[in-house]
Amino acid sequence: MRTLRHAAAIAWKDLRSELRTKESLNSSLSFSIVVLLLLAMAFDTGSEIVTDYGGGILWLAFAFSSTLIVNRSFAREMPNDCIDVLVASPASGASLFLGKAVAAFALQSGIQLICLPIFGVFYNVTWWRNPWQLFGVLLLGGWAMACIGTVFSALTVNLRLRELMLPMLMYPMLVPALLASMTLTNYLLMPGAMPPDFAQWLRLLIGFDIIFTTLALALVETILVR
Amino acid sequence: MFYGLAVAWGILAVYAVLLGLREQDLKKQLETLKKMVEEKK
Amino acid sequence: MRSKIVLALGLVGVPLLLRNLYVILFNLPDEMEQGPVYRIFYYHLPAFFAATLCYTTAMVCSILYLVKKSARYDAIAMACTEVGLAFAAVNLITGMFWGRISWGIWWAWDPRLTWALICWLVYFGYLMLRKAIDDPTERAKNAGVLSIFAYVSVAITWKAIEWWRTQHPGPVLSIRTGEQRIDPAMEQMLYVNTLALATLAAIFVITRLRQEEVQREIDALRRYAHAL
Repeated sequence: MRTLRHAAAIAWKDLRSELRTKESLNSSLSFSIVVLLLLAMAFDTGSEIVTDYGGGILWLAFAFSSTLIVNRSFAREMPNDCIDVLVASPASGASLFLGKAVAAFALQSGIQLICLPIFGVFYNVTWWRNPWQLFGVLLLGGWAMACIGTVFSALTVNLRLRELMLPMLMYPMLVPALLASMTLTNYLLMPGAMPPDFAQWLRLLIGFDIIFTTLALALVETILVR
Repeated sequence: MFYGLAVAWGILAVYAVLLGLREQDLKKQLETLKKMVEEKK
Repeated sequence: MRSKIVLALGLVGVPLLLRNLYVILFNLPDEMEQGPVYRIFYYHLPAFFAATLCYTTAMVCSILYLVKKSARYDAIAMACTEVGLAFAAVNLITGMFWGRISWGIWWAWDPRLTWALICWLVYFGYLMLRKAIDDPTERAKNAGVLSIFAYVSVAITWKAIEWWRTQHPGPVLSIRTGEQRIDPAMEQMLYVNTLALATLAAIFVITRLRQEEVQREIDALRRYAHAL
């Protein structure tokens, strides 16, 4: 319970800080719109098969924009050694990770919800066919990105080349979750019944979330303590 | 098929060569540093 | 002592490799459906086993480092990861050649190939992370954590051949499937070549480990020289 209280306090701190300055929120949102725009130019958005790759495009935009958010996650604690204060506080590493991951997840989800109608407009896609399932996939995939992103943000926070190393480490690790999210989103954008392997991909995504959240909670203390 | 086998051996040979080059480089660095320490003493 | 081990491994491994190459090329018969191209498999699969062995050792040593804080474990983890990457590259590229001949394409986004590539990229990221951190303790700690995360991709690559049945050939080894799907002589050669490649991997790891220790000695000497 104490862990959850500490995590909630840290999440609220991060969210308040971000909502006041909106530095990563604005850049992340505009970057995801730019990515959607560029990919709309790369593909023929008028064709009927846009639902075959629409999920891929959407999640690419989300993946690129989430890097900007999670990069700030631990980087904002660097000035004035705030990270050392946080580590020395009674809050455990797990609650620190949980709080920051939840904050990153909340910010990401906000951006995802704004991008969804924009995606619908740019690509002429009916995304509200299965809205609740789609939101479920956005939540699961978003948590995967927030979880892995926060851990690697902690890992790379002291590096000179942080902005370069974070995406380099994050994306290969995220591939299973991204693949599952993209496939499930494609299925949910298509008309008609769900293909038979829908459940398999959903299991992969949920399994990924569980495994990496557990690993992250166990190992983040080791990363942060110097 | 021969290209496939050749590439398998080739990659391992390249790695062995890289290890050898690194070995030589390390030896040179060690020599230079030992000389530097001797001179400074 | 260590050079004696390397010599012993070399005396076992190198003749075995050469003997295997001779047997693979000249003694073993062609495979029924694929013809002679299947012989690439005798390096493709053993290289994957050698790489997995290296990655597993790296993961175990990373955990040992995080528990015991001995720099030696970190050095072994690094050496094993580097050698594992080399063997994983052999696995990927021999697979590409086999695919080009058998399927007509260099690459397919089949789950097994995708996972093998992801695995390679993740461990390459491990080496990049090590290069980016200057402080040795910080480097060892962070690399150790990344190694543990990265091992999940190895575990999934290993299982991918069972979970997904697609373009890539399915499992054939009797120890995995419980039945004899390929000729016993072929299966035996796979194991013998795995042993040969694993011996080669051990030689590489020991050499790399020694170089890492020399590097640490150089770093210490450099600090001493600048302090004088």
